Amino acid sequence: MIKSSHRLSHYRTLIILGFILTLILLVCPAQRVRSDNFVFYSPRGYEVVPIEMIGNVKYLPLLPVLNAVGSVSGWQEKRKSMTVYFGKLQLELRMGDKKVKVGKAEVALQDPIRASNGQWMVPLDFVHFVVPRLAERTSYRTGSERIFIGDVKPASFAVSLKSLPNGSRLSVQFTNPVRVRTVSRNGRYVVFLGNQPFEPLEQAFRFEDPYVTELTFDDQDGVPKLILTPGSAALNFYSSETAGGRTLLVDLVKPGAAPSPQGPTASPPVSTGTAGPATPSAASKPAGPAATVSRQAVSPETLLPAVVLDPGHGGEDTGARSRDGVLEKDLVEQVQDRVSAALAATHAYRVVPTRVGDADPDLDARDAIANVAHAIAFLSLHAGSYGTGGPRVAVYTYAFPAPPALVPSEPTRLAFAPWDEVQRAHLERSRQLASALEEQFAKLSGITAPPPAEAPVHVLRSVDAPAVAIELGNLSPDLDAGILTDVNFQQQISEAIARAIEAFGGGTAKP
Amino acid sequence: MSRRTLVVTLIVLAVVIASLSYLRSLAWRTFHEIQGGEESAHVRLSQEALQPSTGLKQNVTLYFPADDESGLIPEIRALSWAATDPDRIRQVLLALIEGPTKGHNRPLPPSTDVRAVFLTADGTAYIDFSNDILKGFAPGIQSETLTVYSVVNSLAANIPAVKKVRILLEGREVETLDGHVDLTEFFVPNPVLAETPN
Repeated sequence: MIKSSHRLSHYRTLIILGFILTLILLVCPAQRVRSDNFVFYSPRGYEVVPIEMIGNVKYLPLLPVLNAVGSVSGWQEKRKSMTVYFGKLQLELRMGDKKVKVGKAEVALQDPIRASNGQWMVPLDFVHFVVPRLAERTSYRTGSERIFIGDVKPASFAVSLKSLPNGSRLSVQFTNPVRVRTVSRNGRYVVFLGNQPFEPLEQAFRFEDPYVTELTFDDQDGVPKLILTPGSAALNFYSSETAGGRTLLVDLVKPGAAPSPQGPTASPPVSTGTAGPATPSAASKPAGPAATVSRQAVSPETLLPAVVLDPGHGGEDTGARSRDGVLEKDLVEQVQDRVSAALAATHAYRVVPTRVGDADPDLDARDAIANVAHAIAFLSLHAGSYGTGGPRVAVYTYAFPAPPALVPSEPTRLAFAPWDEVQRAHLERSRQLASALEEQFAKLSGITAPPPAEAPVHVLRSVDAPAVAIELGNLSPDLDAGILTDVNFQQQISEAIARAIEAFGGGTAKP
Repeated sequence: MSRRTLVVTLIVLAVVIASLSYLRSLAWRTFHEIQGGEESAHVRLSQEALQPSTGLKQNVTLYFPADDESGLIPEIRALSWAATDPDRIRQVLLALIEGPTKGHNRPLPPSTDVRAVFLTADGTAYIDFSNDILKGFAPGIQSETLTVYSVVNSLAANIPAVKKVRILLEGREVETLDGHVDLTEFFVPNPVLAETPN
C-alpha cells in the first residue's frame, strides 16, 4: 500500500511536469530558427557570427560580436546581469532589458537582451547603436548583414546586361580592381571576387532574359562572390576581365554559335559605335544599378540621364488592398516594370528603381537613391484608395504642410539644403512634370485624369529633382482591382508616362 | 476505475480545456477587437464632460471628405460647446469620428480614440490618436490628405485659438499617416481642399 502510493506520487509529479510543459509549448511555440550570418569586416580580416531568430527578431551572440569588433579583456556574469570589460570601456547589460550601459552612456535598443543556449544574445540593432561606440570607425548600412570596422573601404559594383546574337552579355563594373575566379556548381556559376570586402547597393538582380535569370551577391561566409543562374543548362560560359580588373564580362551563349573560345572579345554586331569589349553598358552608375536592364550599349562618359522610379510600399508594407486581394505593392511593381521598358525603348533614359523585388527601403533611402543618381525626374508610383469607381489617374506634387518657419529677407545661399527642404527648390519644375503627365493621361480613353494636385506626400520631400507621385486609383477594400491589373491598361499608362518624360524635356544629362 | 487513471484523465481534461480557452481568446483577439467602435464615439461624445447640459449650443462646421474624394464638404452641426479649448478640440474630433450625417465619407474610422489633446500658447494643437486610426483605413494619397485636412480645417474653423495642428500616433511622432502623408511637421489649414462647392 505504501509502495503504491509512493509510485502514484511519482506519476503525479511527472504528469504535473508534462502539464506545465504542454502549457509552455502552447503559449510559446517554437521561437528559434537559425537563419544566416552576420559578417564583421576589419583590417585584420573577417569574422562570421551566426544570426539567430528569436521571436521574429534577429539576435547575435554578445561575446562573439565583441570579439569581432575588438578584444574583450574579461567579463563577469551573474544570473541576471553581465559586465564586459572591453578595452577601456565597460559594458553593462541586464537580461530582458532594452538598455545597455556603455561606459557612462546609456544606449537604448529596440528589443530586449535575451539568452539562448546559455549565451547572452543582443538584438541586431546592437550593431547599429552600440558597436559604433566601441570601435574607432565603423560603417554599417541599416538592414544589411555586414559591418565594416576600422580602415576598411568596401568595394561595390554595378551590373548591366545586353543581348548578343546568340546569347547575353553581363558586364559587372567594380569600383576597385578585382581578381575573379569562377567555379561551376549545380548548374550555376560562382564568381569569387577575391578577398576584399564588398558593400553592394543591391544584392539580387533578376533579369527577364532567356540566357541569364539571376545574379546574386553573397558573402554570408565572409567570402564575397557573385552567383549567376543561367537561363538554361545548355549554354556556354565565357568570362574575361578587362579595364585592369575593373570590369568583368560574362557571355552566356548557345553552343555552336559561340564567339572566339578564348573569351568574349569578338565585337557583337548589335553594339553601337563605341562598344568594344571594355565598354560597360548603361545603368552602371554606382547609384542603384538598374535591375530591369536596358539593352543598349552606352559608354560611361555619355551615361544616359536617370529617371528614378519608386514603386511605393514593399515587404511587410503591402499598401492598399482591393476587394479581390490585389496588393498595391505588387501592382506598382508591375507598372514599374512596364514604365522601365517603355523608357528604355526611348533610348534616351536609364531607369533607376528605388526598390528591387519585395524590399521596403525607408522613404529617406528612396530619396537618397534619386539624389545620388542625379535623377532628372522622380516618379513615385502608387495605387491607393481614391474615391469611388475608377480608373482615375492623379498626379501629385509635394505640398509642404506649413509655410517655411523663417523666411530670410535675403535668400541666403547655403552649401547644402536641409534634408527636409530639398524639394522646395524644385517645386516649379515638379509642377511642370505633373502637367506633362496629366496631359498625356487625359489623352487616354476611359481614364479620368483630374488636374495635378498638391499633397504632402512624404517620399517626395527630400528629392533633389522634379518629383511627382502618380496615384493609379482605385485600389480600395470596397472594390475589385478591375482594369488596373489589365495588361493593356498598364501598358497604356506606362507609354503615356514615357511620352510625358520625353515631352517634359529632361533630356539633358546632369553630371 | 483506479485512482491513477482518474487523476490522469482529469489532468488531460484540464490541459485540453486550457488549450481550448487559449485558442478561443486568440481567435477573439484576432476577429473581434475592432467591433463595438461604432457606438463608442457617440457614447464618448455624449459623456458629461464633453456635453455639459449648461453649455451653449454652438453651430460647428465639420469638414468631411466628399464621396468622390475630390475635396472636403462642410456640414453644420449643433454641439453643446464645452468650456475650455482642449475640450472643444476633443468635441470636434469625436464629432468627426462619429461620422457625417449626409452620406459623405468618414475621415476617421469609428474605433479611433483620441488619447490626448494639448494646445500650446502659440496656437499649436497636438492631437494624439490611437493606432485604431489605421484600422479599416483605406490608405492612399488622397484619402490620407483628406483625413489630415478634415481634422485641421475643422479645428481651425471652429476654435480660433488653433492656428496649426500636429498629429501624433500612440504618443509618438510618426513619419507618415499610413505610408503617404507627411506627419513630420505641423499643418496649417488648407483652404483649397474646402473650396469644393456642394
